[in-house]
Amino acid sequence: MITAERKPLAEIKELIAPYRKVLVVGCGSCVAECAAGGEKEVGLLASALRMDARRAGRDLEIKELTLDRQCVYEFIDQLTEFIDQYEAVLSLGCGAGVQAVAEVFPKAIVLPALNTTFVGETKEAGLWIERCRGCGDCKLGFFAAVCPITNCAKGLFNGPCGGSQEGRCEVDPDTPCAWQLIITRLEESGRLDCLEKIYPPADWSRQQGRGPRRIIREDQKL
Amino acid sequence: MRGESRLKKVLQQGSFAVTAECGPPKGAEPEAIRKKGKILKGFVDSVNVTDNQTGVVRLSSLAACMLLLQDGLDPILQMTTRDRNRIALQSDILGASALGIRNILGLSGDHQSFGNQPQAKGVFDIDSMQLIQVVRQMRDAGVILGGEQLTEPPDLFIGAVENPFADPLSYRVLRLEKKVVAGAEFIQTQSIYNLARFREWMGQVVDRGIHERVHILGGITPLKSARMAEYMRDRVAGMDIPDEIITRMKSVPGAKQREHGMAIAVEAMQALKEIKGVYGVHIMAIEWEEAVPQLVEEAGLSPRPDV
Amino acid sequence: MDQKKAGSRITIFFCQRIDVDQDVNRRPLEKELGPRIRFFPVPCSGRIEPLHLLRALEAGADKVYVVTCPEGACRYREGNIRAKKRLAYAQGLIEEIGLAKGRLELIRVPAGTQTTIVELARKLLAQEAIVGPMPPDEPGQQKQRRQI
Repeated sequence: MITAERKPLAEIKELIAPYRKVLVVGCGSCVAECAAGGEKEVGLLASALRMDARRAGRDLEIKELTLDRQCVYEFIDQLTEFIDQYEAVLSLGCGAGVQAVAEVFPKAIVLPALNTTFVGETKEAGLWIERCRGCGDCKLGFFAAVCPITNCAKGLFNGPCGGSQEGRCEVDPDTPCAWQLIITRLEESGRLDCLEKIYPPADWSRQQGRGPRRIIREDQKL
Repeated sequence: MRGESRLKKVLQQGSFAVTAECGPPKGAEPEAIRKKGKILKGFVDSVNVTDNQTGVVRLSSLAACMLLLQDGLDPILQMTTRDRNRIALQSDILGASALGIRNILGLSGDHQSFGNQPQAKGVFDIDSMQLIQVVRQMRDAGVILGGEQLTEPPDLFIGAVENPFADPLSYRVLRLEKKVVAGAEFIQTQSIYNLARFREWMGQVVDRGIHERVHILGGITPLKSARMAEYMRDRVAGMDIPDEIITRMKSVPGAKQREHGMAIAVEAMQALKEIKGVYGVHIMAIEWEEAVPQLVEEAGLSPRPDV
Repeated sequence: MDQKKAGSRITIFFCQRIDVDQDVNRRPLEKELGPRIRFFPVPCSGRIEPLHLLRALEAGADKVYVVTCPEGACRYREGNIRAKKRLAYAQGLIEEIGLAKGRLELIRVPAGTQTTIVELARKLLAQEAIVGPMPPDEPGQQKQRRQI
């Protein structure tokens, strides 16, 4: 899923400082999964902001709402009913959600409450780890399902570097060396010869794009 | 300029080569590099100039190499893949050759988080293996990545690095071989303190016949103090410093430790001369370039041969 | 494995509005041709998904037709436009596994014509000989069965 973390409260407060009526909108998908922007988190944030406003003697009216997905217009449309009654929208969606809301309601002031971070897995309760950089050209089949771009600090395709020690990355001792893992897995499945070939330079144009990348599927169009 | 690589000539004629490392200053003054060059001249065959080592901003390797070249040395341009994309790398390769630099060493480089610009974007467009392949293709096939023809190919002797002491140990020889396939013509290893282990590694290298396809230069870093030895053992990934070396360093009073560190280095250099498949030594006397002439002399490697 | 006769089996997905009596009209032809023909009437060609087309091929059809109402005449407005795009998508997919995209074909009933599904089917049967049978499976191989 896409992971995110709530911005520090000080930063959020500054963003909504000019507004007295704020619509706080969460998302029930990825950010709920990583406990950053789901219904519970909307409630938590709203409660904290209200209490803070009360103690500072400021007026702050908040409406709380969580959409199933904040990146799909059919769900965002649900805001139409009352969005005009609020001065700003504080979105707990990921970056895509925040922007989608702003596109559906271009006149609204839409502010992000989260820092969207990475595409990752829930390794265990409370631990999310980045696994994918969206390179647009998945090479996992060549690297024993260990992404060298994401898991190797230097993104080596022909690693390891000279700093691999006891399966740890020299850059961060808490990080396993991706190449140790790749080599171990290939060895164990008798595929080490896969590494004999020099893996060629990646086509980064598939990741960088020319502005925002897009996917078009005519067969899906209405 | 049409000079030739002295390192290549020394190796090709079968002499034991000596190279040393030289760190550029954290400033724009050309004198710092020139001074180091003068110390090393005549005692080494070629001089590596590091490329923003440890991610710390320093005078560029390319510029420093040019300064050394002007003073009559044979520089080795170190080029990491951390700071530049393929366009810039290939461009600098052409530039280096045009300036008369005749040696290049391709490596991944230390991660930017170690240096004084940790917020920088690490480029890593291509890795060291791919970089070696690219230089080789540019030189021998006269093409850049993608196949477009160059108007003039660069003339460079191509080197790479390998660390016999890093994990996974079993893979290190295979990776060395891969670098040779990619196009490496000489290899400089990480600093050697554990000679027994290095001999074992070289045994495997020789078994596979790799020593006949590439010139390996063993890395040597003289220890300045027992503390430095401990620091390197504990904090530098990929370093194997046996306890016995630490003990030896500690057994001598502080003031004498430099001298002792030099003695250990000389022993190692002499040992390297006897190991099959080792064609030279690469001295990395970081910020201690003044030690190099003495090391070279005491190891019986002076004067340098005529080519 | 026997080589199938040229152009043995066709499947026709079609919009029911093309022939209001299709339920009755198609039976005699079904009886006559047996497994050579399969009809799938749908309330609108826009209901057809690429998956239906692939499954029809997998089940043994040499050729699959999607018959839609004339342009601009879809009762649900864009159903026949969707059908066209989905068929194109399915064609792209089968080409990637080496099948000719001609094995899937969109037929738009011309505006203003009145036809029965049987008349249409007979016309298509006469044409489809050009496509030829699906390439045979490797002999001696266990047939891949779709797990439900």
